[in-house]
Amino acid sequence: MSAETIDIPAERQQEILALEAKLKANHFEVLGVTPGASSDQVRDAFHALSRKFHPDRYHGRQLGSFKAKLDTIFKRLVEANNVLTDPDKRQKYLDDNPFVRAAIRSATGTNAALQPEPAAPKSAEEEARDAERRLRLARHPYLAKVTKIQEHLVKAKAHIAKNEFSHAFSLLNIATQIDPQNVEVKTLLADVRKKNEVQRSEGDFKRALDLLNQGNEELALQALRASVNASASNHEAAFKLATLLEKTGGDIKEISSFAQKAVEAAPQKVEYRVLLGRMLEAAGMKSLAKKHFDEALRLGPDHPDVKKHVKKRWPF
Amino acid sequence: MAEREPVIGIDLGTTNSVVAFMQDGTPTVIRNRASSNLTPSVVALSKTGKLLVGQIAKRQAVINPSDTVYASKRLIGRKFSSPQVQDAIKVLPYGVHAGDHDDIRIQLGDKKYAVPEVAAMVLKELKADAEAFFGQSVRKAVITVPAYFNDGQRQATKDAGRIAGLDVLRIINEPTAAALAYGFGKSVNGKIAVFDLGGGTFDVSVLDVSSGVFDVIATGGDTYLGGEDFDNRVIEWLVFDFAKENGIDLRKDRMALQRLKESAEKAKIELSGSKEAQINLPFIATPAGGGAALHLQRTLSRDKLEELCGDLVAKTISICEQVLVDARVKPSDLKEMILVGGMTRMPKVVEAVKHFFRRDPCKGVHPDEVVALGAAVQADALTSSDSDVVLLDVTPQSLGVAVAGGYVRRLIPKNTTVPTSVTEVFNTSKDDQTTVKIMVLQGEAEVAHQNELLGEFILTGLRKARRGEVEIDVTFEINSEGIVSVSAKDRETGLQQSIQVTASGGLTEDELKRILDEQADLLLEARSGEELQGKKSELKALMKEVEALIPQLDKATQGSEFGKDAITKAKSALDAARKAFDAPVLSKVTDSIDTLTRTVSLFKGVLERIK
Repeated sequence: MSAETIDIPAERQQEILALEAKLKANHFEVLGVTPGASSDQVRDAFHALSRKFHPDRYHGRQLGSFKAKLDTIFKRLVEANNVLTDPDKRQKYLDDNPFVRAAIRSATGTNAALQPEPAAPKSAEEEARDAERRLRLARHPYLAKVTKIQEHLVKAKAHIAKNEFSHAFSLLNIATQIDPQNVEVKTLLADVRKKNEVQRSEGDFKRALDLLNQGNEELALQALRASVNASASNHEAAFKLATLLEKTGGDIKEISSFAQKAVEAAPQKVEYRVLLGRMLEAAGMKSLAKKHFDEALRLGPDHPDVKKHVKKRWPF
Repeated sequence: MAEREPVIGIDLGTTNSVVAFMQDGTPTVIRNRASSNLTPSVVALSKTGKLLVGQIAKRQAVINPSDTVYASKRLIGRKFSSPQVQDAIKVLPYGVHAGDHDDIRIQLGDKKYAVPEVAAMVLKELKADAEAFFGQSVRKAVITVPAYFNDGQRQATKDAGRIAGLDVLRIINEPTAAALAYGFGKSVNGKIAVFDLGGGTFDVSVLDVSSGVFDVIATGGDTYLGGEDFDNRVIEWLVFDFAKENGIDLRKDRMALQRLKESAEKAKIELSGSKEAQINLPFIATPAGGGAALHLQRTLSRDKLEELCGDLVAKTISICEQVLVDARVKPSDLKEMILVGGMTRMPKVVEAVKHFFRRDPCKGVHPDEVVALGAAVQADALTSSDSDVVLLDVTPQSLGVAVAGGYVRRLIPKNTTVPTSVTEVFNTSKDDQTTVKIMVLQGEAEVAHQNELLGEFILTGLRKARRGEVEIDVTFEINSEGIVSVSAKDRETGLQQSIQVTASGGLTEDELKRILDEQADLLLEARSGEELQGKKSELKALMKEVEALIPQLDKATQGSEFGKDAITKAKSALDAARKAFDAPVLSKVTDSIDTLTRTVSLFKGVLERIK
């Protein structure tokens, strides 16, 4: 296949190239097992692959560029095996990679709507045949790419229909990594990203309000910060955060920055303007403060906050 | 099967060494020229200046204690200042000195040798035995080391192989080798534990075996726990009582110490079969003020031995506990339990193991030979294309770098399957730090300096910035040959520095090269000289035999045609042999041996029939 002479049968060379091409996939896919496979299944698959891909199998032979390939492949297999056979590492891996967890959910049939195929325990033979089939498919890069993207798209749309934006987001993210040019994926991703942010922000805001009701201000602050960070458009969260910080004696600069955010997201809200004005004034930025007080007065001369904070100092 | 270059597996033990090879798909021990499976790992310089190795060296130890080196494996790859070496020196009758790099030099006659050089003498002997067996030169070998040997000790062993003229294909772990020999050719599937208590070291490993794949899950041990320590307990007991009675410390006398050592070992071995052993050492010392020589006469009971060594046995069990935890298995998950090493013949050890693992250990393996057999299996797996064996070995100790505050950040934890590589991001620890020092450490201690320093290097030219702002990628890699390499890369500038860890057992690369160069000529010469000498004595014996047979045949055949003809031929063959003997050319000597061997078998056959 190239000028260098390599002492590996041609068929095995093809297998090595095919596996090398899919090393970026998740740990389950690299080992060719169903997502969510048990520790024993993972170990068996790792052993089966070791028989073919352990560098020692080719010790002393002329390998050329395949030496590095085998080393890389085997190291990747070790990594996948180490993570998936250690309960702690596996847990952490799934926590850090929600899309893998989503893949497990669909593969193990916990979400029947997405994956009609029931997760019947497969015999070792079937497992081997499946792995073989997957490998063969993976050899055709274009085919593999298209199928993968389609799979992810279908799953992502199902999640969107159920308002599960975070799952949809991670699936689309993978899809766009496989093919950054795919327009459908790109537009859907932009839309889902925003919706996902809003959903997360709203979730955190709701949690913060619950926490406030329970009187836990510290955790509420955390939740509010998370909410504001998730979505800049959540002005309610930003305002709530700013007032809570003021109440608990927070840093003036920080408070004004959140008030600023609230004002930017909802310029018509009088109380946001008043708060921002007060904070700017306290920070010594009188002219900026005046601008916001003026605006508040214009927007709602009868607003209680304006009466309380602005009118009494009028005119400057 | 095509004719292949022979490859051997060597178990380089603390007390004994064994060499094996794969014979038609069965691992087989190669007997040494003294027809024994075990070659004592003993090297000596005789009073006449001759270098002795093996049984012959061991036999003369008592009369030549200061020039007889045993248990050199306990010193290999270690630092002279380490507490283990300092302890060992107290009970070693031969001279141990510090080298230039805190390494160890062993005194033999008026020369000082590095430990790998001494180990190489044993390896050379084994190599010569294998060559005598195959009738051709042997270069490729797999050598075993205790699983818990660190990188320095492994490199030093590899150096020893190189000095002995061997191409060391791989260094593998002893318990792993034992498992290979046990599981080879059987359809074993499941988890097995190997308990290896040898002459100097203790190892325990858990493996997952599935149709030819030997996957090491966890391993642990102590490189300073073995039969020698049991012997030392007995020696201490003898010495202590003797000092109490006579006020003489026998350890000060090298010859007495050597005799004590031999009898302690003998008594220990005897107690594996009987309840009591006699220790009899007449004329062991003479009182300082003159007078009659003193004798040492004691009876050691099995109970007493067990009492003296109880803590050593307990230590092995606590290591087993830890390894099972590391492997995430319970004793009941294990399919099989294998005992390896001479010390596992001690009833107390067997009992403790049985109690802990709650099962009878496997009886199908020979504790002294199984490791060499496994090495032969791996040697074959690496060189033949039709082997089904794959060994997934692990790194026995963690690897990491020293970080600010004197601690260690581990990148590759122990029991990680090799080859492997790990990258982690580190930050500068001071403001405007432009240089970082990467110190590569091996070991489990939290505090940096308690680990083994494998090597260090410096990455310079970093951008000036506040502490923590400059990011450096540090990559650790262990390749399939077990070589550790470490690199550090400045993320921003792409500047990179790396080292390959080659720190060897006190030998610098230059020194090693010098030794190899020095020996390059010597080695060849020694080999052919030795071989010729051996063949000549073989020829001499044959000549005598033929000379004795001629009159017998003459008498038996009563001057028949056949008899006359045969005797004439034999006489001319004898003449040729005498010439070959006087003009030593190897090929002629070998030819004569062949002719005479045929003559002898012909004559004997005739005499047999006539009778």
